[in-house]
Amino acid sequence: MSHRKKAAAQVTLLLAGAAMLCFGVWRGEAATVLSKAIKLCLECVGIG
Amino acid sequence: MNAKKIITLLLAAVLVLSLAACGTKPAENGGGDGEPQTLEEARTLYDQLVAQENAIQTENTELWEKVFLSADKGMAMMEDGKNYGEFLLSTIEAAKEQFTDEEYELLKEKATEIKNIEDRLAALEEKFPSLSETPAGDGSMSVPAGSDKTTPPDDGSMQKFPAFEGKDLDGNTVKSSELFAKNAVTVVNFWFTTCNPCVGELSELDALNKELAEKGGALIGVNTFTLDGDETTISEAKDVLAKKGATYQNVYFASDGEAGKFTTNIFAYPTTYVVDRNGNIVGDPIVGAITEKKQAEALQAQIDKALSADRG
Amino acid sequence: MGKKFSNVSQALSRLRGWIQAGAALLTNLHLPNFLKGGLYQGAGKTVCVPGLNCYSCPAASGACPIGAFQAVVGSSKFSFSYYITGFLILLGVLLGRFICGFLCPFGWFQELLHKIPTKKLSTKKLKPLTYLKYAVLLVMVFLLPAFLVNDVGMGDPFFCKYLCPQGVLEGAIPLSLANSGIRAALGKLFTWKFSILLSVIALSVLFYRPFCKWLCPLGAFYALFNRVSLFQMKVDKNKCVSCGKCAKACKMDVDVTKTPNHTECIRCGMCVRACPTSAVSFRYGFGDGKKEPANELKTEETK
Repeated sequence: MSHRKKAAAQVTLLLAGAAMLCFGVWRGEAATVLSKAIKLCLECVGIG
Repeated sequence: MNAKKIITLLLAAVLVLSLAACGTKPAENGGGDGEPQTLEEARTLYDQLVAQENAIQTENTELWEKVFLSADKGMAMMEDGKNYGEFLLSTIEAAKEQFTDEEYELLKEKATEIKNIEDRLAALEEKFPSLSETPAGDGSMSVPAGSDKTTPPDDGSMQKFPAFEGKDLDGNTVKSSELFAKNAVTVVNFWFTTCNPCVGELSELDALNKELAEKGGALIGVNTFTLDGDETTISEAKDVLAKKGATYQNVYFASDGEAGKFTTNIFAYPTTYVVDRNGNIVGDPIVGAITEKKQAEALQAQIDKALSADRG
Repeated sequence: MGKKFSNVSQALSRLRGWIQAGAALLTNLHLPNFLKGGLYQGAGKTVCVPGLNCYSCPAASGACPIGAFQAVVGSSKFSFSYYITGFLILLGVLLGRFICGFLCPFGWFQELLHKIPTKKLSTKKLKPLTYLKYAVLLVMVFLLPAFLVNDVGMGDPFFCKYLCPQGVLEGAIPLSLANSGIRAALGKLFTWKFSILLSVIALSVLFYRPFCKWLCPLGAFYALFNRVSLFQMKVDKNKCVSCGKCAKACKMDVDVTKTPNHTECIRCGMCVRACPTSAVSFRYGFGDGKKEPANELKTEETK
């Protein structure tokens, strides 16, 4: 991969990543994460 | 083995200290060992006696353990308020050959002391019945004579379920005081909509609710997402409940109230509480879904306990 | 210029143990919760930490990316998580598997175990197993939670539930020690996962980072981004004397002179320290730094 191509790929991926992240927050995924992360879902850590 | 010895030593030290602390008080009152007149005096004396008894047994723990071991082997355990000291004496007598003469003499002497203490305790209890209800000290080693086995333990471990005034998901007002009072037993299940095991047990909880209804009990759910009455989360919760065929009452209340704060402190889901008619929590909360056999059994045991206590 | 870089690289790889300890502490900041037997329930849990760190750990200050991904994908509302994927792409491009080598608490845990003096075994011949982690990522983290759903549309977090040893180490064990209710809830699942944890511990003593190499779905995701990551390995061909010391020093079985940005490279810098001519160094920046070396100047060496 040439230098320029690699740099372009990196910039694209960074932008895509940021866009996906924002879209995910916008449609309420962050709230889902929070609601799960602050509670101990027993199955999730292998209890019970 | 070492840790056990250290703990025993510590325990003994604590008891001796508490004994010393107790010892000064009656002297100040000028009452000494005389007949206590007020409940307070009686309690002090009672505590002192119990501590003495404990101290006697902690002094020679190993010997006593031997005694207890032999007691387990087919000796009739004391019943209907038979004096604990007498029980010890007969146990020691029966296991005589296990001890050296010296040990035997020592044990006999100590057991007699215990017997005397027990006699005095019993006399005190007769005069002030409220004494036996709150055993002093750790109480784990002594069995208060004459304690009625059928009364549920009222040793302060009874915790009230926090009071709430809220609504069910259909908007009807629910008051905790009324709810608990009208049911012999109330099972309170805490869950939230995106908790997989919680959702997984909803239909079983519904079956349990129907079963409880026949026995004068009820089951309610508290979906933590719906606290404060958020409309979207309520409709989501109702949706899940409908899909699972759960028809029992689900309630919500203010998150900043007593019960709301109680709910915030629950972090493991699902958690199920059993509450008796007086609003007291029975036993420890059941953590984990009752679809597991272990949890289901623990829950049933607590329900049965509450029901039998309610029947009196 | 090149010298400056190699100095920074040397320092970074030398300080790695401390950085790992610091990262593990920052990831698990709420230490008093271990005694209380509760969880931190603040808004910090909205954001993921970079490493594999169970959010059911009493001390955890953020969410686990893998756990969070499964939580979103397994919920009835969503079947893909743009939030977490976007976050992981960003981290993948910005740092790649540098996270494994420097920031992941479970990676550090395995390394500490590996310090126990015993006979050490090479993983070179077990190379095919390194592909297993991609299957774990695809099947257990994405496909099963998203598509094997119950009647309400909810899926199980398969990786967390059946495989992840970090959840037992950080979640189940401390919580069950501090909380009798949870202790009473321990069941068959715990036995299974506890045995996985024990196996990983035993293997970690013998092998270097077995979980990272073979099973970790988070490592797998970052591995895919190693080639395009801004954090890279650089070998100065003019200085290299082809002594092969770097490849020998590498515990992830990578030859940095041949494939500097190999998927298995966790940027631990053992090759940097092993190189007698300082030909191997870290590089941070866009592109591959071959044609426009000026680009290297404005780069930063920290995260």
